[in-house]
Amino acid sequence: MCSKITIVIGFVLWALNVQAHEMTPAYPKLRPSYIKNVYITELKIFNRRTDVEYYSIDVFDNKWKPVAFASPNKVIRLKTNKYKTFEVYIRSIDVDKITYICTTSKLFKSKEQVTLVSSRICSKIKK
Amino acid sequence: MKIKTLTVIGLMLSAGSALAIDSPISGTVQPKCSIWTETSGVYGHPLPYKLSTTPADGGVKASIRVDIAQADYYKTKFTHPNSFSSSPTLTDSVAWTGSTVVGAVSVAAMSAYEAAKVTYNNVTEFDMTLAGSTWFTVSSTASYGSTKSLPAGNYTAMIVAECVAK
Repeated sequence: MCSKITIVIGFVLWALNVQAHEMTPAYPKLRPSYIKNVYITELKIFNRRTDVEYYSIDVFDNKWKPVAFASPNKVIRLKTNKYKTFEVYIRSIDVDKITYICTTSKLFKSKEQVTLVSSRICSKIKK
Repeated sequence: MKIKTLTVIGLMLSAGSALAIDSPISGTVQPKCSIWTETSGVYGHPLPYKLSTTPADGGVKASIRVDIAQADYYKTKFTHPNSFSSSPTLTDSVAWTGSTVVGAVSVAAMSAYEAAKVTYNNVTEFDMTLAGSTWFTVSSTASYGSTKSLPAGNYTAMIVAECVAK
């Protein structure tokens, strides 16, 4: 009975889907951009966290080493319940090694005795 | 009579053309991971040298919900703190302990995540093989020096919740 209630509550909360950090697609694909030797991909971030307004973008290889990239904003300002589509530009020499594109929540310094939760979502490049 | 017949034929044709109009609703379902902070943890101060999120110590454990829209596309990682992100100046070392466990689940089979989790350093990794919501509980304890009193002030530590496409 208890597990049934948990499942129902779970699905209700899931359906309401409030206060979350989301990013799609899970497997973005790189394509040539209008700039020579530069590839581009687009991702969409959705901020449902009320305690977060900024997200940073990072690009990594398969060993989680940072890879150089360009984007109109490396830190995105995103108010609660808003989404934004952003582009990531990669040099063609880095196309083979790039594996993950991540967004990480940026938290404000707290004046309380708490544990803050930073969220990070990483998409994997489709090869 | 002719006018009446033409009017009827005209109406029939217009009704026929209305039936031919389609109004499609389209949507896309794609793999998606959402991280939701349900409860930020709070440190209790049960002993002069100790900060703990354990309820018995006056603290509150952090609760993080992860929603997975499609099964078997993501892994989640939780890093419990091993340093303060802000604190008064500390002159001695801090010993950290912590853990991440599966709390409530929306699908009964998700209970298996707990047995299958991988723990290394201060990181706990879960393979999200099912679609639905999972609640994770993160606890943290900091003990200062060799039972030295912690200086007065505010202490903040960071939990990192990650969702990584497989």
